[in-house]
Amino acid sequence: MTLTREKTLADRIRSDFPILHQKVNGKPLVYLDNAATSQKPLLVLNTLRDYYEQYNSNVHRGVHTLSAKATDAYEAARDKVAAFINAASRQEIVFTRNASEAINLVAYSWGSSLQTGDEIILSVMEHHSNLIPWQLLAQRTGAVLKFVELTAEQEFDLEHFKSLISDKTKLVATVHVSNTLGCISPVKEIAAIAHEHGAKVLIDACQSVPHMPIDVQQIDCDWLVASGHKMCAPTGIGFLYGKLDILRSMSPFLGGGEMIADVFLDHATYADLPHKFEAGTPAIAEAIALGAAVDYLSAIGMDNIYAYEAELTAYLWEQLGQISEIQTYGPQPKVAGLGRAALAAFTAGDVHPHDLSTILDQAGVAIRAGHHCTQPLHRHLGIQSTARASLSFYNTRQEIDVFIAALKEAIEFFGSIFS
Amino acid sequence: MTTAIMALSNVRDLYQQVILEHYKKPRHKGKTNPVHRQQRGHNPSCGDTIELTLKLNDAGDTIEDVKFEGEGCAIAMASADLMADVLRGKQVTEALSMVQRFQNMMKGEDEFPKELRKLNVMQGVSQFPVRIKCANLTWHTLKAALESTHDLANTGFVSNEDT
Repeated sequence: MTLTREKTLADRIRSDFPILHQKVNGKPLVYLDNAATSQKPLLVLNTLRDYYEQYNSNVHRGVHTLSAKATDAYEAARDKVAAFINAASRQEIVFTRNASEAINLVAYSWGSSLQTGDEIILSVMEHHSNLIPWQLLAQRTGAVLKFVELTAEQEFDLEHFKSLISDKTKLVATVHVSNTLGCISPVKEIAAIAHEHGAKVLIDACQSVPHMPIDVQQIDCDWLVASGHKMCAPTGIGFLYGKLDILRSMSPFLGGGEMIADVFLDHATYADLPHKFEAGTPAIAEAIALGAAVDYLSAIGMDNIYAYEAELTAYLWEQLGQISEIQTYGPQPKVAGLGRAALAAFTAGDVHPHDLSTILDQAGVAIRAGHHCTQPLHRHLGIQSTARASLSFYNTRQEIDVFIAALKEAIEFFGSIFS
Repeated sequence: MTTAIMALSNVRDLYQQVILEHYKKPRHKGKTNPVHRQQRGHNPSCGDTIELTLKLNDAGDTIEDVKFEGEGCAIAMASADLMADVLRGKQVTEALSMVQRFQNMMKGEDEFPKELRKLNVMQGVSQFPVRIKCANLTWHTLKAALESTHDLANTGFVSNEDT
């Protein structure tokens, strides 16, 4: 097969990522742990540096020049994120520490109105961050959690979902792209069905926003969350998108500076959106750098990123499919690698994922081993842990070749002991 | 096998033949009969689990048998099997000092004397800091089992990552 975009994308932009150009254990680094966190381009690194060298100052407070500049840059980052996911208003974007905090915000603020017997529908493949907050909410309110299972292809089972939803359902919270299975859930259909029953919809988009175009108005979700660090931005910054009227109806989550309008000793009134949900000094540099990451991704084009990663997906799955000891999880890619995320969770016969990861590390190849924060999914699949290679647009077919060769060596190393 | 891809000498230091043999053909899997001590342990971040059962003598001060069940990597499982190998006939106080010595060995600060030298095969793990908790899991669980005051009844997990 030919990777037509390889010369025009990965090769073109790899020099933007200084960290990729190093040796690990004497071998060129092959970074295939992008679903855990992405690497950061120079544009993002320089943005952080420029902020601290040139205009570090608190936002929304001072009248001095640096504070005004910091505030402008911080709010400009919000505009960038709003445009990136096609939010109808900049007020619909709340900066949070990460996606987990965004979900907790909704669970504590909106969720506190739930009552005993109200139902929340999740899927069995949720990341712990889209599971534990709802478990805690269910414990507080008496709400009941229900779980959508998987199809035979290990994707979101829309028919099972239809059988679970009822007028008791108050919320459907589901992952857009599974960090383990790599399947892409039909979020638009899910949202439409949920709304027919008067339920709200929250989408965990951590694994989709960095890899494909996202349009919250087209999905018609009520909330959508993502983490900056998985989309070329620093750690410590993420965002909550929420429909304006819904965010307006919600009580504050955390109290403190920044989120107030008028404060008296015994009560306070709150700032308008989005600041109502941004108590305390925010992660200013990180938010501005998230804006830079959005600029960077937008300049490449999310359509181009998705198309290139699909080509890598096709190649990765084709190569893995040729190793008899490998069992993959999640749906097979469709034609041209489309229809699933550019990652593969797998087991390798007798070689335990942790051992595999250690051995691959000696070849300079970074993959994840363990339960990937989806322990219930692993239990559902009847496995304790998997290895996972997850790609990004800066990975190349040559890197997949190095990974596959090291994988074969590791299997041979373990297998040869008793042959 | 080809050696073009990885630094195999490091891998061989870690995964010595003895370790792989204990992983593939453990001698002490199962449950003791009777069970005088029972303890489950886990590494929450990676999902490895182990369940140790111990048979003690009538006085309760000497280990007569150790068995384990669980799921985990080669390092965790081989460590458990090696530990069970050497614990038979050891006094409880002696076993507890072996726990300390093993944990020190993982820091590269100690090793076992001649009569227990088979445990020294795990020394290579100290060069792989992220894997030390794999090797320690079984010893950490043993300590909890020996320090528990009741006979059975330990239904909770002891975590290897709290300390």
